[in-house]
Amino acid sequence: MRELTYREALREALQQAMEADPTVFLIGEDIGVYGSAFGITAGLQEAFGEERVIDTPISEAGIAGACVGAALTGMRPVGDMQFSDFILLSMEQLVLQAAKMRYMFGGQAKIPLVMRLPGGSGTGASAQHSGSYENWFVGVPGLKVVMPSSAYDAKGLLLAAIDDDNPVMFFEHKLLYNTKGDVPAEPYRIPLGQTHRVREGRHVTVVATSIMVSRALEAAETLAQEGIELEIFDPRTLRPFDDGPIIKSVKKTGRVLIVYEAVEMGGFGGEVAARIAGSEAFDYLEAPVRRLAGKDVPMPQSRVLEYQAVPQVESIVTEGRKLARNEY
Amino acid sequence: MPVPVYLPRFDPSHKSSTILRWLVSEGAAVREGDPVCEVTSDKVDMEIEAPADGTLAGVQYPVGAEVPAATVIAYVLAEGESTADLPQPAAAAPAKSGATDGSRISPVARRIAEERQIALDTVTGTGPGGRITRRDVETALPAPPGKVRATPAARRLAREFDVPLENISGSGPRGRVQGTDVQALVDQRQAAISQSGATTKPQVIKLEGMRRAIAARMQHSSQTAPHIFVEVQVDGSRIEQLRSAIKARGERLSVTALLVKACAWALQRHPRLNATLEDDVLSLWPKPHIGVAVALDDGLIVPVIHAAQAHSLRQTQTAVDDLAARARSGSLRPDDLAGGTFTISNLGMFAVDRFTAIINPPQVAILAAGRMARQFVPNEHDQPTLCPVMNLVLSVDHRAADGADAARFLADLKAVLEEPDLMLW
Repeated sequence: MRELTYREALREALQQAMEADPTVFLIGEDIGVYGSAFGITAGLQEAFGEERVIDTPISEAGIAGACVGAALTGMRPVGDMQFSDFILLSMEQLVLQAAKMRYMFGGQAKIPLVMRLPGGSGTGASAQHSGSYENWFVGVPGLKVVMPSSAYDAKGLLLAAIDDDNPVMFFEHKLLYNTKGDVPAEPYRIPLGQTHRVREGRHVTVVATSIMVSRALEAAETLAQEGIELEIFDPRTLRPFDDGPIIKSVKKTGRVLIVYEAVEMGGFGGEVAARIAGSEAFDYLEAPVRRLAGKDVPMPQSRVLEYQAVPQVESIVTEGRKLARNEY
Repeated sequence: MPVPVYLPRFDPSHKSSTILRWLVSEGAAVREGDPVCEVTSDKVDMEIEAPADGTLAGVQYPVGAEVPAATVIAYVLAEGESTADLPQPAAAAPAKSGATDGSRISPVARRIAEERQIALDTVTGTGPGGRITRRDVETALPAPPGKVRATPAARRLAREFDVPLENISGSGPRGRVQGTDVQALVDQRQAAISQSGATTKPQVIKLEGMRRAIAARMQHSSQTAPHIFVEVQVDGSRIEQLRSAIKARGERLSVTALLVKACAWALQRHPRLNATLEDDVLSLWPKPHIGVAVALDDGLIVPVIHAAQAHSLRQTQTAVDDLAARARSGSLRPDDLAGGTFTISNLGMFAVDRFTAIINPPQVAILAAGRMARQFVPNEHDQPTLCPVMNLVLSVDHRAADGADAARFLADLKAVLEEPDLMLW
């Protein structure tokens, strides 16, 4: 099959959605002439014109507000936050308005908007441009939260997100943009709310999101040489969260490692751990449920410290090994 | 400096002792080696000796107090010392931490050891340079009584296989029992069972459908109806004659059909047993509706001959045959099973001499019939004569009727079976 980068897969999804539906448009900072900070929208303004690929001033609340208003009136906007960190400026529009309107208007309104959110660390962009804020949205009824971990998922999930009539927070990872994978040329959709088992194994259930999925897969290769098998799950959608396959797996392995980049405390991994502990899988646990996540610091600028601040392949190997060897 | 008197740790498993009596009172002179205190523990009573010459002072625990092992219980003052020289209570309570070099214990570990009264010289340090860490102290803490460290999986397996967790040595951290430890024990146990030649695996049948219904109804009856059993022996000579006569006509009369007819006749005279009992209400029915237990491949079913008194013997035979055939082919209608007031269970065809049956609720009586066997019975001249004999056992719900009721019914039943002409009466 044809290989595309995660970046190209996202661009293709946007292009195909815009070709198929004239109500789909893009709005954000530097997404037109410049092709966006990470090159996702390169060439799209030339292809679809300035009315459908709209450059805005530096006003994230304005972008979000325009998206909410346009969605209310029947458009399908795709906002671009340049860096997901800046989503904090548009919280009111998204959390107080977009997430609640359908409910408060008795179902008479729908808000089919997508907010594209390039996030994560690893580029030396320091504390204000490297955040992982997905967990800020998973507790908001009315929103959906999506985190693609591969090029294939990026295209299929973005097309599904654009189709969805609810506001969708779409968290991309900057380090994934250049990663390659098989991507079908035709449009396809990956249903939101389906956990994906990316590797089968017997000893430790690993739940990983975004870039941690590929790190977990790499760690699994190392551990496999020691006879330790990781079974890796990618929720793909954090809200709604499909915990069924994970609970089933824990009943088999009895051991869980949850890997995510956001700061450990208050992160999505806590939700995963609680779901497992509160499920029928509890009676099958052979070790405490472990989390491996971001350190409790603002993201350091030093590349050395930045590397240490989030889970890496080596730390997943170490944790997986300790769990499998009954050291917890 | 005052010399502490310790309750020593008698052996590694010794956790605490109770002060039995103080042999020396405070202020009294002691010599090194004198017994000063008697303590008890699970295993032995021990005397604690004075560690030095001097005066006993600063007794820390009264008689009856439970004292953790390796704890200071008193002091011996040297000449010239007074109680003012005794360490302050806060310092007296902790274990003999002075015995361990302070620099090789982490502050947290020391605090926990003091709080939990763990003697630090009994703890092995695993930190840098043998430093005692928090974890080391926590590992040394005795598990709370009655608590076993075990994973949820281990607890589940222990529950499922009825294995006490207390007896399993855990392979997990700090001796935690893992599910795999329990599983290993279970596997071992099962391997031992199969080696001993006992059967490996039973055929497992889940109780479903009819079997389940029978189980529920019979358990209910057996547990709620107090059964009494009354037995009679019937001389079957006239029955045999009657059956032969009918056979000579090219027709057939079964013992079951005859029992139905005879019971109908007797029940009309004893309505107390032609009854149902539900919620403290005993209903006596005007007509006998007699159920006949029919054995199937897996289970049994009891179709009912309604108003059996109205049938001739021949009609009874036809009805019994029809119901039995339809029971075996599974084509009984709900009506055929409803409304019974009495049941007959005949195992005569299986060469059974006698048996007892469980009452079919809400009925209050069931008749169990054995085979017709030839036996020597004394005649009116007390001479042995060979005659066909059948045993009938009547089960009666003692809540509804008494032994005398059963006896009177059986007397009439015996009479009509020994003299079938009475059926015409």
